[in-house]
Amino acid sequence: MWNLARKLLLHDRLRFAVAIAGVSVSVMLVLVQVGLYFGFMDTASSLIDASTADLWVGKQGNESFEFATPFDERTLYKVASVPGVARAERVLMSFVQAKLPDGGDLGVQVVGIETTPGQRSMLAPWNVVAGDPQRLAEPGAIVVDRTEYAKLKIDRVGHVTEIAGTRAEVVALTSGIRSFTTSPIVFTDLRTARSYLPQFGDEPVTYVLVKLAPGADRLAVQARIEALPHLAAYTTPQMSTRTRTYWSERTGVGAGFFTTAVLGVIVGFVVVGQILYSGTLQYLREYGTLKAMGAKNSAVVRVILSQAMISAALGFAVGAPLAIGMRAAMKGANLNVALTPELYAVTAGITIVMCAFAALLSIVKVLRLDPASVFKG
Amino acid sequence: MPAALAIQETVPSPARHAVIARVAGVAKTYGSGENAVAALTGATLDIRAGEVTLIEGPSGSGKTTLISILGLLLTPTAGEVWLEGRNVAGLGERELPGLRARNFGFVFQGFNLFPALSALENVAIAIRMKNPRARGAEAEARRLLDHVGLGSRAHHLPADLSGGQKQRVAIARALGGNPPILIGDEPTAALDTKTALSVMELLRELATTERRAVVVVTHDPRLERFADRVVRVEDGRIEAITTPNATPAT
Repeated sequence: MWNLARKLLLHDRLRFAVAIAGVSVSVMLVLVQVGLYFGFMDTASSLIDASTADLWVGKQGNESFEFATPFDERTLYKVASVPGVARAERVLMSFVQAKLPDGGDLGVQVVGIETTPGQRSMLAPWNVVAGDPQRLAEPGAIVVDRTEYAKLKIDRVGHVTEIAGTRAEVVALTSGIRSFTTSPIVFTDLRTARSYLPQFGDEPVTYVLVKLAPGADRLAVQARIEALPHLAAYTTPQMSTRTRTYWSERTGVGAGFFTTAVLGVIVGFVVVGQILYSGTLQYLREYGTLKAMGAKNSAVVRVILSQAMISAALGFAVGAPLAIGMRAAMKGANLNVALTPELYAVTAGITIVMCAFAALLSIVKVLRLDPASVFKG
Repeated sequence: MPAALAIQETVPSPARHAVIARVAGVAKTYGSGENAVAALTGATLDIRAGEVTLIEGPSGSGKTTLISILGLLLTPTAGEVWLEGRNVAGLGERELPGLRARNFGFVFQGFNLFPALSALENVAIAIRMKNPRARGAEAEARRLLDHVGLGSRAHHLPADLSGGQKQRVAIARALGGNPPILIGDEPTAALDTKTALSVMELLRELATTERRAVVVVTHDPRLERFADRVVRVEDGRIEAITTPNATPAT
């Protein structure tokens, strides 16, 4: 059956090429669009995903990770005293203006973390490629990402700039820490961050990060913290999902990318369906002859399904490398296309289902084909 | 006898002239009520091993309906179709493909060969389609092509074959699965006279040497010399059955 299917497909090479092109474009669109979406979502939750905290405690009603309402420092002590909490750490996060060398201003996302000597913060900057992150404890020290050089007009460790009217010195550089909001992320010590944000009052905090004591019941600790007034506690994966969901739903980015991906599937479906159907019509008398001579419907259907599967396999084989090429091209524009093995597997499955459904019209045609029709002229 | 037919194959060997299929009192009406059209009425015909039966008649007379019912491609409105010792007229679509695969090979005016497949592949695919568990389909296809004198053209595509060669490939395909009955729907109509006669000669030899029943619909009276019987169909009725090669009584 495979041999017959392959030969029928290859007999008209132009039509075959169109079918493979249709599937390839479809596969590439699905991979790139969904990969871009996952890339954006990875960026949106990258700070949370990189943290070593077991729980994130914030104010109830916080919809967005980035736009969290601050509370005062007493909350830290309340959380730290909850049974099962081994360690609690403050984080202050907000947007402030940074001064550019040319005199302009740029909004940056400040992440103020605790820099206790001898203890790594649960939200310490990672992927450090230059400088000394230990110096973050120094007043005015900041860590920025090198992919934001162009925006911040910073070109080296030791560069001095001004954030919220306060002197700031770059003490280390990271690679690949970017914000979904497009504002550069600036790590700094909690005290420095507070100096940028006097409007938040005395000793503001937006999150308390929690490390659980060994053997502590996570659900029980979470419930105890949530019993405190106005507080909500999420595990790191829960916090990550909340953030991704917020950006995906509130900005419509999810719908946008998935709509394009679905359009890609529809394009592939229509192209393959049309090619298979026209091929079936072309060989209708031959299929009828086989049925007249006793071939079962299932045997003829297998030939058509085999053609669909060949189209799916070759279309995927061409479309997947195209997507890899697109990822490389987009990397230059600082766009992350997250092509994971799972995405490849799911896209392969979608391609198979798409081609199988595209073959349905052809299958119905041969199932309804009256073998007696071969006698009619 | 053509050299190609010198190879004898193992086929069911019912006694010559034994009845292996019968249509009895079959009728076929298309449509219903005022729009009903009787395509065939009260047709009775025995199909005998080793015989060539020609079915002649003007266009629209019911010839195709008759062979369609005989070949189990069409269900009669009334009457019986006897095959393998039982009336199969009322059988459903689940059983008919198997019956057709075991009993019939078809040859058409337009050959109906897959243009993308070689002669060998066209025959082999039919063998596999008839019986998906068939082993050695390719070797069997090669043997059948040798049998019809086309062994040397086995790897040619239909486009590279003449009309007569294509029809021989179609006959080899019809022989796949070793059916006792070959049904031809004007198999010589698209061929020149010489080629048509050689194809008919081949069918005649298949009947004579292998005791297959060959049933051919034709408009061409020149083919009568190959026939044991000629069935004349007019206005949906079998008007006459004659034996053109019968030795006149003295």
